[in-house]
Amino acid sequence: MSGQYHRSHSRAWFMERPAYIRFMIRELTSFFMAAYLIVLIITLAKVGAGEAAAAEWLQALSTTGWKVAHAVALAATVWHTITFFAAVPQAMPIYIGEDRVPAPIAKIVMGYGPWVTVTAIILWGVLR
Amino acid sequence: MPDNETITLELFRYHPETDSEPRFQSYEVPYDEDWVVLDAINWIKDYVDGSVTHRWSCRMGVCGSCGMMVNGEPKLTCAAFLKNYYPFPIKVEPLVNFPVERDLVVDMEGFMDKLQDVKPYIIRDDVNDTSQGEYRQSPAELAQYKQYSMCINCMLCYAACPVVGHEDEFLGPAALALGHRYNKDSRDQGQSERLEVMLSSEAMWGCTFVGECSVVCPKHVDPAGAIQQAKAMGAQEYFKRFVMPKGAGATKGAGA
Repeated sequence: MSGQYHRSHSRAWFMERPAYIRFMIRELTSFFMAAYLIVLIITLAKVGAGEAAAAEWLQALSTTGWKVAHAVALAATVWHTITFFAAVPQAMPIYIGEDRVPAPIAKIVMGYGPWVTVTAIILWGVLR
Repeated sequence: MPDNETITLELFRYHPETDSEPRFQSYEVPYDEDWVVLDAINWIKDYVDGSVTHRWSCRMGVCGSCGMMVNGEPKLTCAAFLKNYYPFPIKVEPLVNFPVERDLVVDMEGFMDKLQDVKPYIIRDDVNDTSQGEYRQSPAELAQYKQYSMCINCMLCYAACPVVGHEDEFLGPAALALGHRYNKDSRDQGQSERLEVMLSSEAMWGCTFVGECSVVCPKHVDPAGAIQQAKAMGAQEYFKRFVMPKGAGATKGAGA
């Protein structure tokens, strides 16, 4: 129909609402997770290449810049994990009969519980 | 509080026959803490300016007609109390992501087309005679989709979704939630037909799970959750078709 008014969309749409900013931060954390995985893959390759190569790589990672990068990657990964677990009950609802399992319990059952368990097993394997 | 207290409403005005651009017009409205924004707009139309155009009907959060942007947030104006904004001015605009017909009224045609695309009704391969009785359903089967059947088509979720505003092919939260509602209905056998539409390009996959559709939904339908579940269902359907190209297709549906 003629005469309608079409409002334009800003390229900075993600600044229009706090929720959009939170969404963009969540998405950006994926970059840091991907970057850290590349570092991890390189580390594994260096370990596979022998003790000398691994020691040299670990020495390179001991600089302040790398330590800051790791801290940022850790913070981004933790935030991404928290937001991911928050979304799990919505995307994968659990029903017991006609009752839906409440979100806080579903988050523990499908998210935090397995996370803590796997982390504990890894720590046990490394530290024993 | 004195009886003559007022509150300012700034209404979005656009009359296509006279305006090339929209403008805002301010009105002083009597402040009553029991009033909602819709009451104030109705008061303006009844006593100050009869040319103000807006949609409303039930005034009790059921019909879904009075959705507007209230201070930038998609709201049912019949549920937005003046006392939550007083003493500051309230800016009222038509829902974003829709063309504006006139003042606070948007064009719903694109939304209605998308609703129809997902075939929001029960599809059966066989239709039993009523003498054979109803298609029975357990409370557990009802629970699978009941939440998604509460949508009142108020379109607040479309106004909250940034993907709707940038991707024309995206079917949008309410339509996808409604499609998922019927896909989860144990009496329905039309999942393949619906997924045919939902799986195409950006129709469903355009959703990036911003999640604001579920936040603004006045009926707690949780369209964002429905879409993620529909994506999982769609991925299963895709792999079924990949593995079994001829015999594929979601089949479901209880007999009578």
